[in-house]
Amino acid sequence: MFETYLPVFLMLGVATLVATLMFTLTSLLGPKKPTPEKMIPYEAGSNTTGARHLRLSVKFYLTAILFVVFDIEAVFLYPWASLFRELGWFGFLEMLLFLTILGVTLVYAWKKGALEWEK
Amino acid sequence: MSWWIGVAPLLLLLGGGLLIMLADAFAKERAELATTTTVTLALSGAISFYVLLVDPVLAPAPELVTRYLATDKLGAFFDVVICLGAALSTLLAGGYLREHGLERGEFYVLALFSAFGAMVLARAADMATLFIGLETMSLGVYAMIAFRRRSARAAEGAIKYFLLGSFAAAILLFGSALVYAGTGATSFVGIAAAMAGGEASTKLVLLGLLLVVVGLAFKVSAVPFHMWTPDAYEGAPTPATTFMSVAVKSAAFAVFVRLLMTSFGDPLSTSAAAGWPPVLAGLAAVTMVFGNLAALGQSSVKRMLAYSSIAHAGYVLVGLGAAARVPELGVSSVLFYLAAYTVSNALAFGALVYAGSKGKEAVSYADLAGLGRRHPGVGLAMAVGVLSLMGFPPTAGFFGKYYVFNAAVQAGGGWVWLAVLGVLSSAVGAYYYLRVVVLMFMREPAQGAPIAVPMKSGYVLVALVASAVFVMNLGLLPSTVLEMAVAAAQELVGA
Repeated sequence: MFETYLPVFLMLGVATLVATLMFTLTSLLGPKKPTPEKMIPYEAGSNTTGARHLRLSVKFYLTAILFVVFDIEAVFLYPWASLFRELGWFGFLEMLLFLTILGVTLVYAWKKGALEWEK
Repeated sequence: MSWWIGVAPLLLLLGGGLLIMLADAFAKERAELATTTTVTLALSGAISFYVLLVDPVLAPAPELVTRYLATDKLGAFFDVVICLGAALSTLLAGGYLREHGLERGEFYVLALFSAFGAMVLARAADMATLFIGLETMSLGVYAMIAFRRRSARAAEGAIKYFLLGSFAAAILLFGSALVYAGTGATSFVGIAAAMAGGEASTKLVLLGLLLVVVGLAFKVSAVPFHMWTPDAYEGAPTPATTFMSVAVKSAAFAVFVRLLMTSFGDPLSTSAAAGWPPVLAGLAAVTMVFGNLAALGQSSVKRMLAYSSIAHAGYVLVGLGAAARVPELGVSSVLFYLAAYTVSNALAFGALVYAGSKGKEAVSYADLAGLGRRHPGVGLAMAVGVLSLMGFPPTAGFFGKYYVFNAAVQAGGGWVWLAVLGVLSSAVGAYYYLRVVVLMFMREPAQGAPIAVPMKSGYVLVALVASAVFVMNLGLLPSTVLEMAVAAAQELVGA
């Protein structure tokens, strides 16, 4: 079994070695001329604004969690659709049940105002 | 009769939960949600109680169902216990949430779905169902603990339980992956077959089983996996604490019993995985001793009850471990104990809920001083609750303890010593339980100390009366429930 994975371990060893070498050599050999400009955190090239500890609105979280829920739905639907004929009526009813439950949660989230951004 | 009745309680909870969720979203007035939820839970439990009582001949369920969900008497027994515990909790919530200005429909929906997850967990016949049930149950509970959104205590308890719970779930999942690697099966029956057939890799299975035991020991809050318990129990609104201490604990023990008895109970396979009885004995010993000793030093009654629930997990583990030697006796004692513990704990927590109104809660022992004299009803409920937890005859707790320790004595060998340790540590427990009674009836509050004023709520009153009736009924006439427990145990161990 070990022989099968030998290339992987070799690759792991070489990668670690190369990375370590590159970092040590640059920090040892490279010239260092720190200026205040150079020491600030890099933020997409533009000037940094504001503090790091922002309080984000819970709305982002709600949207994200709803996205995950309906993303999972899509993940389930694709394999089901590709096996639709084999699964037959049983699979159809099963999926219908799943979608009903998900539909109820969507109605709930809607009614509770989770989909409204401005409120 | 059709096999559908075996899964009817689950379907009822699921359908009821979805409807109540919609009702919460659309209705303006939320007053009826507590009642609706309690009735749904009670109906669901009643179906299984009927199955246990009448014992009708059921058509065998299709393999498609039984592969993942057991439709046996053990499942029905835990349906009853979990639904009863959850129904009493939602009744308490009906009074508590309104009194403390927390009334929001989510609580009832979360409790319902969490109870649904608990019942799936108790009926799990496959590692996959086990994990799904466990997570469904836990997710609801995490949110219920954090229900007092503005309280730092609640947030702390919920975060602690959530993080540790996620780790425990990961450990359990890793364990079941190792068991699968060792046996090539995820269903409990398949694991048992692989163990008996001798094709299993013993080392992998043992390691996997150990990790699964760790994950489940976390959920039943056995020492040393109990760190989250006091904080989560204290931070949660008291009805949520009640729910966690009865329904969640019972469900975790249910799957514990089923997994160990189905997959690793066979003499052939226990010789390969002989690891679990001594491990459970060790867990039971430290849990009983630590739980009781730590409860001694508490000044908050709620925290004391949290440590007491840890100690009770230890007693149940004694019966569970003894089931390795005397399967039928051990399993039935565990079942009866959990039923007795559910009603006793619900009564004690219910009395604690009842004892305080908004701004005048009963938190510490000092708050209880003289409460029993000023308000005999509250005092009586609290006294019966803690006496039953203590194991005082003729309450439910007495017979629960008696059967568990009896099973240990019958198992012989080192289990007798474990029973002795159990009796000794529950004698230590008598101190902190009796302290509540003494304070309530024989002391007066200190000058100028805040005085707890009981709330007025029909919901809580109904919950208290119901659990008191069950506590006394199980104590005076234990035979009906005991026969059900024995029947469920016989079916499980195939005696």
